[in-house]
Amino acid sequence: MNTAARTAVRSRFTLSRDVMQAFYRLLGVVLLCAILATLSDVFLTTNNILNVLRQSALLFLMASGLTLVILTAGLDLSIGANVALSACLAASVIKITGSPLLGMATGIGCGAVIGLANGILVTALRIPSFIATYGMMWMLTGVTYYYMAGETIHGFPPEFRQLGSGYLLGVPMPVYVMVLFLLIGGLFAQRTVWGQQIYAIGANPVTARLSGVPVERRLVLVYAVSGAMAGLASLIILARINSAQGDIGEDLTLPAIAAVLVGGTSLFGGSGTVAGTLIGALILTLVLNAMNLLQINSSWQPLVTGVIVLLAVWIDTRARRIGE
Amino acid sequence: MSTRGFSLAALPVARVPGVAIVLVVLCAGFGVTSPGFATPANIANILTQSTILLLLALPMTVIIMTEGLDLSIGAVLTFASIVLAVTVIATGSPTLAFLAALGVGLCFGLGNGVLIAVFDIPPFITTLGTLGIAQGLSLLVTDGQSVVGIPRSIEQIYSGTAAGIPFPIIIAALAYFITHALLYHTRFGTYVFALGGNREALRVAGISVRGMLIRVYVFGGLMAGFAALLMTARLNSAHPTAGIGMEFDAIAAVAVGGTSFERGNGWLLGTLLGVIAVGVLRNGLNLLAVPSSVQVACIGALVIVALFIDGMRAER
Amino acid sequence: MTVVPLFELRGISKEFPGVKALDDVSFEIRAGEVHMLVGENGAGKSTLMKILCGAYRADRGSFFNNGEPVTIHDSTAARKFGIAVIFQDFTLVPYLDIAQNIFLGREFSSRLPGFIDRRRIHAEAKRVLDMIGFDIDPRMPVHGLGVAQQQMVEIAKALSQDARILVMDEPTAALSDRETELLFAMIARLKKNGVAIIYISHRLSEVFALGDRITVLRDGSNIASLLPAETTPDQLVTLMVGRPVDTTYTRPSRPTPGAVVLDVKNLSGPSGFSDINLTVRAGEIVGLSGLVGSGRTEVARAIFGADRVTAGEIRLFGEPIGGSTEISALRGMALIPENRKTQGLALARSVGDNIVLAGLRKLFPSGFFFPGRAMKAARAIIEKLRIATPTLRRPVATLSGGNQQKVVVGKWLNADARFYIFDEPTRGIDVGAKAEIFRLLDGLVHNGAAILMISSEQIEIVHICDRAYVMRSGRIVGELAHHELTEANIVRLGIHQ
Repeated sequence: MNTAARTAVRSRFTLSRDVMQAFYRLLGVVLLCAILATLSDVFLTTNNILNVLRQSALLFLMASGLTLVILTAGLDLSIGANVALSACLAASVIKITGSPLLGMATGIGCGAVIGLANGILVTALRIPSFIATYGMMWMLTGVTYYYMAGETIHGFPPEFRQLGSGYLLGVPMPVYVMVLFLLIGGLFAQRTVWGQQIYAIGANPVTARLSGVPVERRLVLVYAVSGAMAGLASLIILARINSAQGDIGEDLTLPAIAAVLVGGTSLFGGSGTVAGTLIGALILTLVLNAMNLLQINSSWQPLVTGVIVLLAVWIDTRARRIGE
Repeated sequence: MSTRGFSLAALPVARVPGVAIVLVVLCAGFGVTSPGFATPANIANILTQSTILLLLALPMTVIIMTEGLDLSIGAVLTFASIVLAVTVIATGSPTLAFLAALGVGLCFGLGNGVLIAVFDIPPFITTLGTLGIAQGLSLLVTDGQSVVGIPRSIEQIYSGTAAGIPFPIIIAALAYFITHALLYHTRFGTYVFALGGNREALRVAGISVRGMLIRVYVFGGLMAGFAALLMTARLNSAHPTAGIGMEFDAIAAVAVGGTSFERGNGWLLGTLLGVIAVGVLRNGLNLLAVPSSVQVACIGALVIVALFIDGMRAER
Repeated sequence: MTVVPLFELRGISKEFPGVKALDDVSFEIRAGEVHMLVGENGAGKSTLMKILCGAYRADRGSFFNNGEPVTIHDSTAARKFGIAVIFQDFTLVPYLDIAQNIFLGREFSSRLPGFIDRRRIHAEAKRVLDMIGFDIDPRMPVHGLGVAQQQMVEIAKALSQDARILVMDEPTAALSDRETELLFAMIARLKKNGVAIIYISHRLSEVFALGDRITVLRDGSNIASLLPAETTPDQLVTLMVGRPVDTTYTRPSRPTPGAVVLDVKNLSGPSGFSDINLTVRAGEIVGLSGLVGSGRTEVARAIFGADRVTAGEIRLFGEPIGGSTEISALRGMALIPENRKTQGLALARSVGDNIVLAGLRKLFPSGFFFPGRAMKAARAIIEKLRIATPTLRRPVATLSGGNQQKVVVGKWLNADARFYIFDEPTRGIDVGAKAEIFRLLDGLVHNGAAILMISSEQIEIVHICDRAYVMRSGRIVGELAHHELTEANIVRLGIHQ
């Protein structure tokens, strides 16, 4: 890999540039809000704003784990399918045992195990991450449909549903979860040895290995975390819509990838922040919300997301080229 | 230098056993477990059903040989099929409709190629993006509904026969031979090997790498347009989710067929066998009443096994 | 001597930032001769050949084709004069056959538009292969060929484009004795057909067996043009190595070596080395010499745990070790790799990030990372090694080669390494900065560290090391104690005559 090409890489020593980037993106969020407020009367209602926050919380949770994967120059295409299977398993466990805690452990555990499997495919079998996780996506989808057999599981204990639809001090619960994981994710990436090693792997895996970084183990960890975060996101969805179906979360993979890329994390690894991904999730949710409010056919959503992904990667590629 | 009696291991022939063993094992397994499997009618059925997959797997082989990937091919097929159905209903002209489907394939292939070759965006993310776009367009045009009321003439393309041979088989055979000729007997094919094997060699020889890459993805788009014709004829309708995931079967068939994701090592006959293997697997599991969701997982397992073998071979 | 040379370079000079690569070099090649080009690494052979084939442009100097003045400003021009280089990293496509490779981009058209005439391509390829006496089926795919055969295909490819002058850069480096013989037979045939060959070699036996004339380069200047019959191998070695010692560096006295730090016994590995035995003591710099490709880097990587080993034992401070770069780093081993830019640094990351990378675990045993402490540690290293950088946040790519190398060393200083493997520490570093790197090595051993240093420049080994091992073809063929450590001895051991 041409390491000379890895330029626009940022890190803690160059935080100021990160701050500037984040500032521009926040400016984008504000601008989007302003446009939306003028276009639609509904946008500035409390209900809608809370809705946007709740939606972006969900997207952020999936995208935060994915951010770590993309920081290592990998990709996880299985997170949407992971959400589906984790949600369905968690739903069954809650239904059978009546214990939300057991169900939550199942959901997160299932997600983590799937992530672990991805990590092993990528490191031990050296399958390119986008192919390994793509295959995983289809296998998970198959397993989930088989498991659910077209059924729907619904009706969960109210204390569990609080996680998705409850409020605390007028703010939806998922927003608290989002803030919590923003802190955890940010601290993990910026303030731990493992986080630093993850950046180093993304910037140049050969150098990282020759500097004593256990590259394979860190990669497995990163995929496992991405899977676990998908498992966590599945719980939020479950608690919010109060039912589980085989196709739950399926169409969230592309928006999550878009959120990470729009948030400034480079597809080529080594550069980006979890906080940036939060802004990316906000921007993406706002765009999708706008389409909703403006009563644009929901069929436009995959199309728009696809275009956003391409634009974000194009900008990233250009920045790298100019850096050379 | 006594290299006349060349070693078998140096030829792609060494790969025959891999796919062949998979095929034989699958056939033997299903032959024993389900009595309906080894009947002439069922075998004809498997072959006919594999034709659409073959039309996608052929260009996928070429694309993977260039160290690329096309995740959008199933979604493009779907959209082309919808455009075809809508056009034929609106104009009544199957020819026009077919051209429209080809046009859709051409546009997406060109788009993928330009994004990859000119804008330098990695193939997997490019085609993931265009997958979203094609899927969105399909939903938009149909509003999520099936397009029905297609004239009989289109259906004939799938169900008709010539000299006792089903049309789809004839089309697939033609496509195979055309791709074979392209890959092994034209400049295009020669440069496809070079795109994956050694791009520097191509540059030194003064060939435009970008132009070749674009052509490769255009080929993929056009074949998706052809496949859309068969798909629409087979279903006698167009549905916005009909081709979703077909790229997965296509990649699976290519991988099982022994084409490697590195160094431009492709083998078209292997892909043909891989397509039949995937078809046999699906058909056999159907006969055993295994739900199609589990079939996907089985194919996934097949791919991972194939890639694992690929990796083992590369290491040796 | 009224022969008009086929091609002539006169008064060529070429300067790179900080290095005068070529200084007023003249070189001529006649039809049907094998002209050997010899000299140490860094003498300017490659630069001269790159100018000949149009990859570099000379700062000064003129070219003559058959006595006519011409210019070569790019590789197309060079090709027009029939100059072709057989590259070490081949330009072959693995899954095309030999004939298709030979005619890549120049395929014969068939009557059907767009189609190629495979039969004619194969027939023409056969003709070219016959011309060089390479008896092989042109339908063989290239990926199954050995290095020697691939080289033949490259040569056939060059000849099919009417090359009159072939440049071969150490063509026998990866060949077996039998393959070498076949290559020599082919060269003899080419000579008979009037093709001129410029042959770069380190192997004196080849120089004398093959050469019609010999040109010796040293420090970017022609030292001599000789006929093989009028010289001896010893004279040639003297001409090659007689380089003035770098005057900016004088070696200080060394402490007496302490306990054994690294002890390698019977080490063999799949990457091409076997039965390696070596020891390094605290406070000494041990050289690992030998030609490029003799297995030095592979041994270094295996000792560090980056490559697999199949047999043998590595002990660091008496403890067995191996197979994991993580453990090697934690136990105090450091590798300063050959390729600084792709293996030693994350170029796009900051100087500070690069410096703290290897020592993260030692600096932050709790696993939590504190930027302030990291900055402080990095700053201490920058001061200690006098790394010239305006800030810690500068991407390391913007630093000069010497300073980049110091960052790599600093990375390991920060990790408290006590045994260092330096693989070509001065490669791509300005002459002035080299002395500083040597002083750095000296500082390390004075503080009790042990060093294993790989270098292709014998003079460096002689000058810096306390003793040295010499490798050839994946084996250690000799150990030179300090009093035996001379360039001539290294060359004699490392090059089989």
